[in-house]
Amino acid sequence: MSVITVLRAGPLVTVQDMGRPGQLAYGVSASGALDKGAYGLAGAFVGARSGAALEFSSLGLSFRYSGEDCRIGFAGGDFVLSMNGMPQPWPSSAMLSDGDVAEIATGRWGNYGYVRFDREIDCVSVMGSRSTNAVVGLGGRVLKEGDTLSLIPLDPQTPDAVRIDQAFGPEELLAPIRVVWSIHADLFSQTVKSAFIETDFQITARMDRMGVRLKDGQGVFRNAKILSLVSDSVVPGDIQILGDGTPIVLLRDHQPTGGYPRIATIISADLDRFAQIRPGKAVRFKPVTLETAYTALRAGRR
Amino acid sequence: MTVGTRDLPMPRLMPLGDCALLVRFSERIEEAATLAIVAFADAAARAGLPGVVDIVPNLASVLLRYDPEKTGFAELSAEVRLLVSRPMRSPCESAHHSVAIRFGGEAGPDLDDAAQALGMNREAFIAQHNRRPLRVLATGFAPGFVYCGLHGDDMKLPRRSAVRDRVPAGSVLFAAGQTAITSTPLPTGWHVIGHTEFANFDASKCPPTRMRAGDTVSFEVLP
Repeated sequence: MSVITVLRAGPLVTVQDMGRPGQLAYGVSASGALDKGAYGLAGAFVGARSGAALEFSSLGLSFRYSGEDCRIGFAGGDFVLSMNGMPQPWPSSAMLSDGDVAEIATGRWGNYGYVRFDREIDCVSVMGSRSTNAVVGLGGRVLKEGDTLSLIPLDPQTPDAVRIDQAFGPEELLAPIRVVWSIHADLFSQTVKSAFIETDFQITARMDRMGVRLKDGQGVFRNAKILSLVSDSVVPGDIQILGDGTPIVLLRDHQPTGGYPRIATIISADLDRFAQIRPGKAVRFKPVTLETAYTALRAGRR
Repeated sequence: MTVGTRDLPMPRLMPLGDCALLVRFSERIEEAATLAIVAFADAAARAGLPGVVDIVPNLASVLLRYDPEKTGFAELSAEVRLLVSRPMRSPCESAHHSVAIRFGGEAGPDLDDAAQALGMNREAFIAQHNRRPLRVLATGFAPGFVYCGLHGDDMKLPRRSAVRDRVPAGSVLFAAGQTAITSTPLPTGWHVIGHTEFANFDASKCPPTRMRAGDTVSFEVLP
């Protein structure tokens, strides 16, 4: 058996995989890696098959490995990686040996990174997934300094198809985030809808796996009062407007239902990219048709 | 629950992102919509709509999540319209649940306020609350969290102005003509009127919830 000992943990270090979709009817959102393409890429660096990931945020993670030799893959955004003090490229792959120390520190761009192994992380699979939903206490927990995790042989059922949705660099983070108009778009005036797509919003530091608060510096939604609505299911990428006019983009640990008006929803192909935009950066939304959204998704999956 | 056929009102179909279609039966919570939602969700599950991966009954709508590799909004909308145009069987598999509630005191700190706001004393409120079985309207907001309704017009109360940061699993909540039961600790602006040992959510079970939309539920007083 192999063991990972956490030597240093930034905020939001969690176990994640592709999540547990299909449970919304029980009040459970899917969770899973915030950048699924990067999750896939970390797996591809390991080889044909790999286990769940440790997802970490921009302040990174440091850990010591003990056990027999193990292949590890690193990916997601940009981080500064060293192994036993020796600088390594990012993203990359390495062979871990007993006593090795990996130090992952803040890089130039991106919010989330992933490490995966040719082993499985030994934590209970809940409703078909090891993903941590810390908000409701499903799956693992948020890892702290001193925590240990065991690595066990991969389950023979682990699918071996490693799919890479998309690899993008910092330039792509500047491109508009594509959206489709959402279920309450018609409740907003044409003026507000136009302003929504012609204005830069700012990513704020109030972000976690549930959602990202945007700064509406131009006051697009300042006067967009909409009365309370009967709640409907939420999907990742929904952009909801709070009563005080604050826009929030909901991510993979979202509440399963919500009663705030939703003006637009980020298309699936752009959700990974959105999750990697750092606080303080501007974001512009661009409406597209469903056909464009489907085409972009298929292109990313090739 | 009665078995029969019913004609559904034609719902509004809306895309929710590029992987889901929202079938909206109403803009508010009303008995007719509730029955339509339960019947439609049941019929959609039976029909095995191609590409649909998740059927989620809400308070006034049903969400169909789909795999965009297998279907699309236009294609699925056509299937839904076809389905809705047929007379629908009322689902006959709905279960009944009996939920014992410890009302008031530490278990229900807002009971007296709620009763007073409706012009009743505590006993009259409890009697009115438990008078007839309710229907499970939807699961949502949190794991295993169920909305039950609707109470009569004499039992309509808005939410509290203040939010309680954390109420325990099993809290019995009351607002907007509904009674809700929590299965996980959570913050709420609803009136906390009691507590039950009824545990609706167990992640190790399949399905993880005991109640489903359309089931009936009756309440008893636990002394």
